[in-house]
Amino acid sequence: MTLDNPAFIDELPLGSPSRIVRFRHSLWSRVLGRVGSGVVVLWAAVTLSFASLQIAPGNIVNLLVGDQLPTPEVEAAIRAEWGLDEPLIVQYLRYLWRILHGDFGRSYVLQSDVTSLILSQLWPTLKLTSAALVVAIVFAVTAAVLTAGRRWPRRLASAAELVLVSTPSFWLGIVLLFVFSFTLKLFPVAGDKNFSSLVLPALSLGLSLGAVVSQVLRQGLENALEEPFALTVRSWGCSDLTLRLRHCLRHASLPAVTLTGWLVGGLLSGAVITEQVFGRPGLGKVTVDAVLGKDLPVVLAVAIFSALIYVVLSTLVDLLYLFLDPRLRTRNR
Amino acid sequence: MPMNRHRLSPAAAVLAVSLSLLVTSDIRADTAGSPVEGGSLTWGVETEPATLNPHLNGQAKTKLLLRNVFESLLARTADGGYVPWLATGYKISDDGQTYVFNLRGDVKFSDGTKLDAGAVVTNLVKLKDPAYSGSISAGPISHLAEAKALDDLTIELTLKQPYAPFLEFASSLEIVSPAAFASTQMKSGGPGVAGTGPFILDRYTKGQEIHFVKNPDYRWAPSTAAHQGPAYLDEVTYRFLPESSVRTGALTSGQVDLIEGISGNDASLFRDNSEFSYQSALNTGTPYSLFLNSTFGPTADVRVRKALIASVDLKAVLKSVYRGERKRAWGITSPIDTKLYDASIESSYGNDPKLANQLLDDAGWTVRDTGGYRSKDGERLTIEIVQAQATVRDQRDVLLLALQAQAKQQAGIDLRIAYVDAGTYADRRSSGKFGSIPNSRTPAGDGYDIEYHYLPIDQGGSVNYSRAAAPELLNWLQAASSTLDQKTRFDLYARLQRFAIIDQGYALPLYVPDDQIAAAVAVQGEGFRPFHQLPENAYDIWLKR
Repeated sequence: MTLDNPAFIDELPLGSPSRIVRFRHSLWSRVLGRVGSGVVVLWAAVTLSFASLQIAPGNIVNLLVGDQLPTPEVEAAIRAEWGLDEPLIVQYLRYLWRILHGDFGRSYVLQSDVTSLILSQLWPTLKLTSAALVVAIVFAVTAAVLTAGRRWPRRLASAAELVLVSTPSFWLGIVLLFVFSFTLKLFPVAGDKNFSSLVLPALSLGLSLGAVVSQVLRQGLENALEEPFALTVRSWGCSDLTLRLRHCLRHASLPAVTLTGWLVGGLLSGAVITEQVFGRPGLGKVTVDAVLGKDLPVVLAVAIFSALIYVVLSTLVDLLYLFLDPRLRTRNR
Repeated sequence: MPMNRHRLSPAAAVLAVSLSLLVTSDIRADTAGSPVEGGSLTWGVETEPATLNPHLNGQAKTKLLLRNVFESLLARTADGGYVPWLATGYKISDDGQTYVFNLRGDVKFSDGTKLDAGAVVTNLVKLKDPAYSGSISAGPISHLAEAKALDDLTIELTLKQPYAPFLEFASSLEIVSPAAFASTQMKSGGPGVAGTGPFILDRYTKGQEIHFVKNPDYRWAPSTAAHQGPAYLDEVTYRFLPESSVRTGALTSGQVDLIEGISGNDASLFRDNSEFSYQSALNTGTPYSLFLNSTFGPTADVRVRKALIASVDLKAVLKSVYRGERKRAWGITSPIDTKLYDASIESSYGNDPKLANQLLDDAGWTVRDTGGYRSKDGERLTIEIVQAQATVRDQRDVLLLALQAQAKQQAGIDLRIAYVDAGTYADRRSSGKFGSIPNSRTPAGDGYDIEYHYLPIDQGGSVNYSRAAAPELLNWLQAASSTLDQKTRFDLYARLQRFAIIDQGYALPLYVPDDQIAAAVAVQGEGFRPFHQLPENAYDIWLKR
């Protein structure tokens, strides 16, 4: 981070026409590139999941027979019902063909249509993870901005963050429930009904992520505060808070955004436990049950949808870089 | 039809007395009072149904909600007898091969279809078809040769050969509206699959809750119920709360009215509290037991199996793990089923480290290795317990750890516990390469649970995890299932029990699974089904104002 890029100090607005054209151009080429690579990622996700489930122990017919008697008639009926008597490559190609038409099949275990299953569970999970993300960002920004470079507040905040990071979200969820739901009766225990039922799950899922990001953000802020431009800004007579929010936060946020984009994947998997504790609907439990029960159609659909979420997120993170760092915009012509 | 609105009719009083012998409960005197109509109830439950189709759903823990909608031909009384329900009566031919059921004429499914002989036959025929029921078609239904309607309200079932447990199966099969078999929803179940029960499935939010409304036309409760006519409650919601501590907190904070599945640690919280009621009841079926593989590894030697059984002080282990809230098991079936269970096996074995060590010395496991375990020819005495991760519940992981410590301390046996995914589990089961599989089968009844565990694997022993193949077992089980004489059956199962547990050490019975329910004081009439003792549906429940 150097001083010789003037755009970086005085925050040139995005208003000038040439800038907009250039920015749009880079935006479109990026988006197109993203869509292309996104399709490849989706295909790879399907193929890898399909292959790994075939390699994983346990034959699907045996699993579906469960602890009943495996008579030849039963096995034949199961193979016929799920198309398992075809060669693997045919099953794979047929599956690809079907998903191109939006048909994700039927769950072996739940017996229900996978598309409607995933769609009904996707929204609650997205709600939970977005709320957790908001919690994480608000927590990280507040904690970092208020404590960076200040000796005692910094120590206290660091200690609190360390506790949050090392607390299992299962336990945090139980503690939050015990205090705010069972004792104070402020929030309902479970379900996905209204805003108040989202508060505790979002806190238990988002706080530890917020604590990690906050540490990185604080480090970045402290580095930025040491930079010569900070001295310049101070010499203009800006208040300390303005310096931190307007000038330094931008510098500090690049690594934090990268980390957040990466950790959001963790939110999706952490949602499993939070959903379980709070009795919320969501993809988490569906996924775990499907993997444990080798419920191929559900696992594949979840793989596709999570890959899709990752692609969208990493695209958003990349776009966010462009907004945050003008140097990337000009370089990308 | 008698419209009995009194809480304690003579029949109910007799029932209550006989039940109280089996059910530990703290129902207080203030439960008397006349039931109030109306209101809605929220019930926190542990297990979410994989499918709402009662034929395809094998989860005992979800029967309490499915039974709001689906009913069967006969109901069971606490002493194991059968009383009319959708059927007014039944007759079994002297050769035990033909069963005739007469149906009530006034029963309607909630989709408007009338219950008649054709409807019941459709259910049975569909269940026999592997394309509909998959592996279930190979279960007890496979004994059925033909089901036909003799007239509008009479069905006749002919078996391939006499099979005594068939009555329990046929009389407890949930009857689904024949119209539902055409529904695309049939296999997953749902509002499109109608039953005859006191409640109607109204909406299901996966991962969250399931909601039922009262069936206003309901007039056909069995005599084992506490009242007749429609249910008291207008609606009932089951919330899925898989964490035990969360269920407890939801009840204590008044967010749900009733919960099931209470951990041993939380039981006293409700039992000793006047704000709540607490009841528990033992299940029928096979106890949770360690089945010891008699064809693989060290347990192939009967002395090692007997040594393991002798080595542990199970009483102490159960007390420390469950704080005295679980009942120790001794035999091959639940002590509730007094028609099949011979209680003389109790206290006749176990907690004898001296015997255990003697047996292991005789078997050649004489060297102690650096870990303190016994070994032979450089091999450690290791018995690997394989359990599917998904089936771990009720602190069974803690129980196994306690057994592991005991086996090491008392006899130098290395119990290694492996939690595996469903695929690995299926592989290990079918290959027979495991030391032990812990398992229970509840609720079951009338002996077919015992058959699953002790028939040869290729002749119906689908969960024969000890892989026992002694010819005596097959002889006794076939003799027991082909006679209707209770005394003969009892004697045969008693002999099998002594042979399997004491002579051969096929299994180490651990505890009798039970169910627990706790409720706020305003909730009245909750309880357990007679005989099978799973939590009963919401039919008799009412809310005190």
